[in-house]
Amino acid sequence: MVRWILAAMAALMMTAGLAAAQQGPLHIEIDEGVIEPLPYALPSFVDEGAGGLTHDITRVIADDLSGTGLFREIPEAAHIQRFGVFDTPVSYADWQAINAQALIVGAVGMSGGKVVVKFRLFDIYSGAQLGDGQQLAASPQSWRRLAHKVADVIYARVTGESGYFDSRVVFVSESGPKDQRQKRLAVMDYDGANVTYLTDSSTIVLAPRFSPQGDRILYTTFETGFPRIKMMDVGSASGQLLPEVPGTMTFAPRFSPDGNSIVYSLEQNGNTDLFQMSVNGGGAQRLTNSPAIETAPSFSPDGARIVFESDRSGTQQIYVMPVGGGEPVRISFGEGRYGTPVWSPRGDLIAFTKQAGGRFFIGVMRTDGSEERLLTASFLDEGPTWSPNGRVIMFTRESPGASGGAKLYTVDISGRNLKAIEGVGGASDPTWGPLLP
Amino acid sequence: MRMDRAERIGTGVSAALHIAVIVWAIIGTSLFKPKPTEPVEIKPAGMISEAEFAALQAAAPKPGEAAPAQPEEPAVAEPAPEVPSPEAAPETPPTPEPPPAPEAEPMPDMTDLTDPTPPTEVTEVPPSMMPPVEEPQDTEAPEFSPRPRPKPASRVAPIPSEAPEPDARVSPTAVAETRPDPEAEPEAVQEEPTEEAAPPEATTEIVTEATETEDRATTSAPRTSPRPRAKPPVPRPAPVQTAQPAQPARPAPAVPADAVADALAEAMGDDRGAEDSPGGLGIAANGPPVTAGEKEALVVDVKQCWNVGALSSEALRTSVTVRVDMEQNARPIIGSIRMVGYEGGSEAAANQAYEAARRAIIRCGSDGFPLPAEKYGWWQQIEIVFDPSKMRMK
Repeated sequence: MVRWILAAMAALMMTAGLAAAQQGPLHIEIDEGVIEPLPYALPSFVDEGAGGLTHDITRVIADDLSGTGLFREIPEAAHIQRFGVFDTPVSYADWQAINAQALIVGAVGMSGGKVVVKFRLFDIYSGAQLGDGQQLAASPQSWRRLAHKVADVIYARVTGESGYFDSRVVFVSESGPKDQRQKRLAVMDYDGANVTYLTDSSTIVLAPRFSPQGDRILYTTFETGFPRIKMMDVGSASGQLLPEVPGTMTFAPRFSPDGNSIVYSLEQNGNTDLFQMSVNGGGAQRLTNSPAIETAPSFSPDGARIVFESDRSGTQQIYVMPVGGGEPVRISFGEGRYGTPVWSPRGDLIAFTKQAGGRFFIGVMRTDGSEERLLTASFLDEGPTWSPNGRVIMFTRESPGASGGAKLYTVDISGRNLKAIEGVGGASDPTWGPLLP
Repeated sequence: MRMDRAERIGTGVSAALHIAVIVWAIIGTSLFKPKPTEPVEIKPAGMISEAEFAALQAAAPKPGEAAPAQPEEPAVAEPAPEVPSPEAAPETPPTPEPPPAPEAEPMPDMTDLTDPTPPTEVTEVPPSMMPPVEEPQDTEAPEFSPRPRPKPASRVAPIPSEAPEPDARVSPTAVAETRPDPEAEPEAVQEEPTEEAAPPEATTEIVTEATETEDRATTSAPRTSPRPRAKPPVPRPAPVQTAQPAQPARPAPAVPADAVADALAEAMGDDRGAEDSPGGLGIAANGPPVTAGEKEALVVDVKQCWNVGALSSEALRTSVTVRVDMEQNARPIIGSIRMVGYEGGSEAAANQAYEAARRAIIRCGSDGFPLPAEKYGWWQQIEIVFDPSKMRMK
């Protein structure tokens, strides 16, 4: 009897298990994939009266997207479908045939003295338009910004994070031999185009920093013979030295995230500490009080903490402290020396310069110092700055030798896509500005 | 014994020379000895107290002394840069380099920077009057494989391409014309058995390690992604030549105990796999459940097309669960693909991750997944968890 009962229970359990197995879908888990640039097709935009600008705008969009290393353009010679009219229906099979995963169709025309660009983005494997089409207009002089804005929209729709193409970088332009280097403040587009000089070369300038809104620039100038902090209004191109305490030197300034205050280094009697004051020059407040050298401060995006470098431990290391006061916490513990820390706009990483074994590195680490990753290495890499979306780092790379010079480079935070900014000549101390409105 | 005149002269010269050498040895070495190398001056590096340093600082000219008044605001963009007065320049470091002779520099063009109004006006483009999107038809699509192509081989073809035949030359001797004998039996062509084997991968250029090393000389940072590479694809199982059931038949209730045990193991997450179980006594209408090996083949197939290269950092932290209904030919029903859950990121990031997962299913499913047709009842709906946590940038 007991055997019969056990057998019946076993059969019941088996049936229940079978039913469960049958009713649910086949379940699999995938935790590996491939990391490849996304292939996209960008047929030349339809010319609706813009002439040569049509081709130029198309190429700038392609350069923006392919330059990220996340996208790969399929050459136009491989395209099967051609677009003579902007509203031509998309033949998805033709684009699948050449393995395009995204398609950008656009047109450029003139209206009321302005360049008008309209475009649509298509997801080939979904067989549908990705987001709404957009139309942008600007003066002919701003055609590059138009192209950057189109690329920003496409980048954001595909990757899910904001773009960084329509942005500017302030930097120190360098010319002349190493022993007679002339330095000028300059601004360029993120890709090195449209270089504009803001100062002449009569005075050494260092470490320019954009305000969060991109309307002002802080930098260190030697025009008085000593390092002083100066703030330039980008709109009027006029500058103003910030107040100082007599007998001191001020340098390494940086704006707070709200743009209302400045954190900087002040040297007095041979000691350097961090101070903060409002942008109008009042309310100077000491942040550190140590016999060591504290410098290169940078705010966290929420403005609550400051990361800086200090040699209070005997070697140059990175520390984080609350803005409101509190004991700094050391976060770098690797071999070598760490400096020029900069907080990511996303708030999750800190970029830094590292010197070890006779080489310089640009790296990133978590805000608690964990997960340190070195992205570059060379004779001299230094001064990282983040793109507005926190995806790319720009920095200075100096080549050795008497004829060596400084150039600007960018690298993805994955460590891939390392490349030089061409067309600006000698350059150092970059700071990436915000995404333009 | 008398010496002759010549001998006396020789003796005198010899004596004089010896005396001169002895005198040189006594006096000359002390007068003309080489000057010793000046010793390197070494001073011990000592620590100075804070008070001493402060005193040194106090003795040094202050910048305020050098420039007591608020300096006149320099015209930043003026073509003729101002030259700091040499008298005002302090002598203590850090002293700026004397400015070079100013060169005339053009006034910067700030028009683009100073324009406060956004240069672009953004409006939406109305949707085009396009016809409804049609699913690509098999017959229209050219033969292609959208799957990732294998990487080019990194070595040169071992066999050089065949040289073209030489041009025909006129024979110096005449040859009688011949005609083929129509009645003659054609000789049987002896076909040598050829070994069927895939030719080795080859390319036209050798990429040596030195080349890569040279390329890497400027940086020791890793040039490749730290994320894991995909495993080599597992060969698909041979197509089953069984007749397709007219309708997706469910397994009959009466199934062998081993198949039930396998199902139970699958349902309870047992990784043992059905193939490890002893064989059953009979097969249900749909066959036994999908084995672990068949599942793995499906995983390998899908992950080849799962490209996360363009995903944001947040999307790379987001795991999405996607469900898809399948046709009997093992192709996904594209309209049925939907996200049934996500975790680890925002909804926007989940949507981005879902799009990448969706593309993977469509791309690799276009040729049909490697699934056993006789087990359609088990995979007519598939749920896939795409978890990029192992691939994200840390």
